[in-house]
Amino acid sequence: MIPRHSASRRIAALALVGAASLLAAACSSGESALESGNERPTTPATSAPPATAEPGATTPAGSAPTTAAPTTTVTPLADLPPCPVDALDGAAGPVELTFWHGMSNELETALIELTDQYNASQDAVVVTLQNQTGYEATIDKYIQSSQSSRPDIVQFPEYTVQLLADSGTVIPIGACIEASGFDTSPILDRILKAYATEGVQWSMPFNVSNPVLYYNKAMFEEAGLDPEAPPLSLEELRATSQAIVDSEAAGYGIALDTGADSGGGWFIEQWFAKGGELYADNGNGRLAPATRVLYDGPAGVELMSYVQQMITDGLAVNVGDNASGQDNFLKMADTVSPAAMTIGTSAALGTVTAVLDGGLIQGITGEDLGVGPMPGPGPGALVGGASLYIVAEKGDEKAAAAWDYIQYLISPESQSQWAAATGYVPIRSDALELEPLATKYVEDPRFKVAYDQLLGTSDDPSAFGPVLGPLREVRAATARGVAEIFNGDDVAEVLSRTAGESNALITSYNERN
Amino acid sequence: MATDTRAAAIPAVGFDRPRGWRALGRYSLLLFVAFLVLFPIYTTIVAALKPGNEVLNDPLRPGPFTLDVLRDAWSTGRLGRYLLNSFVVAIVVTVCQVVTSLLAAYAFAMLDFPGRTLLFGVFLATLLVPLEVTLVVNRRLIDSLGWLNTYQGLAAPFLATAFGTFLLRQVFLTLPRDLRDAAAIDGVGHLGFLRHVAIPLVRPTLGALALFSFLSTWNQYLWPNLITTEADKNTVQSGLRLLASTNLDEPNLVMAGTVIAAIPIFVVLIVFQRQLVRGLTAGAVKG
Repeated sequence: MIPRHSASRRIAALALVGAASLLAAACSSGESALESGNERPTTPATSAPPATAEPGATTPAGSAPTTAAPTTTVTPLADLPPCPVDALDGAAGPVELTFWHGMSNELETALIELTDQYNASQDAVVVTLQNQTGYEATIDKYIQSSQSSRPDIVQFPEYTVQLLADSGTVIPIGACIEASGFDTSPILDRILKAYATEGVQWSMPFNVSNPVLYYNKAMFEEAGLDPEAPPLSLEELRATSQAIVDSEAAGYGIALDTGADSGGGWFIEQWFAKGGELYADNGNGRLAPATRVLYDGPAGVELMSYVQQMITDGLAVNVGDNASGQDNFLKMADTVSPAAMTIGTSAALGTVTAVLDGGLIQGITGEDLGVGPMPGPGPGALVGGASLYIVAEKGDEKAAAAWDYIQYLISPESQSQWAAATGYVPIRSDALELEPLATKYVEDPRFKVAYDQLLGTSDDPSAFGPVLGPLREVRAATARGVAEIFNGDDVAEVLSRTAGESNALITSYNERN
Repeated sequence: MATDTRAAAIPAVGFDRPRGWRALGRYSLLLFVAFLVLFPIYTTIVAALKPGNEVLNDPLRPGPFTLDVLRDAWSTGRLGRYLLNSFVVAIVVTVCQVVTSLLAAYAFAMLDFPGRTLLFGVFLATLLVPLEVTLVVNRRLIDSLGWLNTYQGLAAPFLATAFGTFLLRQVFLTLPRDLRDAAAIDGVGHLGFLRHVAIPLVRPTLGALALFSFLSTWNQYLWPNLITTEADKNTVQSGLRLLASTNLDEPNLVMAGTVIAAIPIFVVLIVFQRQLVRGLTAGAVKG
């Protein structure tokens, strides 16, 4: 249908547009498909009113258009539950805490180890872990439960910040930080800020991940490519895939999926952040509640057309909605027509290397696996993973105990141990100086890729990612659209319809909250 | 029954037993369907009996044989605890469903009371409401009663069944009215009649209902998954999910867990199969 040369011609045309935009040129190569047609000059102006036509009409709680100005002179914590950090001193016996988490496999093993260490290290608190089999199940059970049936601590993924903020069921971590004078300076600022909206720190990041490129070094060598130089930009990704397919080193260049929390939803947010594009209005929803998504603009169309073209040309393969989170990795191990690369969360690295080192996959050893930054229109990544919330109305002692446990989990020693075992990014830089992570990063630099990628992120508001009340549903709607695009439907039309669905979800949510 | 013995007595004759090409076609179709049904069971069992990474290298052929994986699944998967939970819940639900269906069906079939037809219609209409529709409301109710992570929470929404009531009512309707009249003349009350006359007559259907209740409760997945947040309170089906999600790199372990979870069901089915078939087809064929 579409001639092969059109992509390069388009990129050449885009380079002209990109050069016109000074900021875009400064940000990255200036040749990226994502640089065109965006409104970059307006985005850095964070203090400007929201970009919507009538913010007053759509923003909830009767807020005037001026709400968008991020001038937080009054402490936003005043109306929220306080954090009684000293209540543990008065506790009669050990305080028992339940902790709902969504960790599995190697991740769960590492979490159990940390918790056992904590329980053994002191007498005041006993933490019981309760595996809720994944984030989605945790969210469902939490939302459906009465406050008394909820746990004392809960782990929620990054896309639920606004949901939890609006739920009124948690003690903001910011209150605990303030009350105990906790020093947050070693914590990477962008990781901490990922879990803050409108000036309130809602939760404490614990397990941080971002998408990285997994690739098969043996196939790169067979295709005559440098196995130590994975593609960084989208153009390089296409060229690399072409080389792999042409040399028949593998059936496909890259395996992509349409899962809501991977290729169908999350990656688009990542690509927008990398390209310096806002995903939603009102500063990605961090200045005031967002009223609509922006991914149906020219940048989104360019991006998704590029991906669609990769699939149409047989360079990429779509492995479906990847409900298990494993299908894209298994495609790399396919014996008939494997893919040489895939994009997946860095959190899978511990499990993937364990599976490969265990000899479970024929033909691929642990050493064949290479890891590089996620290819995209720019460097950096959004903070993914999950954070820890203290549930309110559980009594002062439990809140204090929960804060104590959380401080243990995010201590430099714990984060060093946790990151080395799992592949998660440590939330604080001083964890890198401690064992076992210090040695791990030297011996196996693949584990450091996600950390470096996160450090390389710009300070543009777009690089903090969207917070939307119904982000989970928006991602699901987006992922359905992406599946249609991967199957060859018209990109602009699908994106505009999907964005319409997403905006309806946001409007409905904002009306209810 | 009678037709069965007759067919056996006159072998290889009659339209029941096609010969030649027709027979070949029919049996190959049956074999093919049987293959489709049995293949997943076969691979599950083969995988459960293989050690370590043999499963991924050679998933189909029965290879080196070991019981270690089953033992491992039993201990790391805490399947003993989950099986116990499943048994308790399934038995409570089965007994309650049989009792409530029996009483309700008797009332609908044998008693005259105003609004009976309407009430029965409403009763039947609940068959049209799938579990998923009432799920959220049910969960909130169980939560407000403080029954999350308890046996009563697992069982409560399933103690009465419109299907069982309907099934038994239809059987009760076939009992001659004269029986009830005769019993009444002898001074037997409703419960006495139910116990001494009606139940013995509908025993096959009752057995089928009990078996059906047991199997469907045993196989429940969504509900136990929703109302358990503590690992020890899982039933075997939701426990299997826990096993699968925490042992991604050991597919044989998950398969072994599946085999263990399926064994009780197999035993129950084999023992009560006759009951089930007889009960569900009761009245379908005059014999």
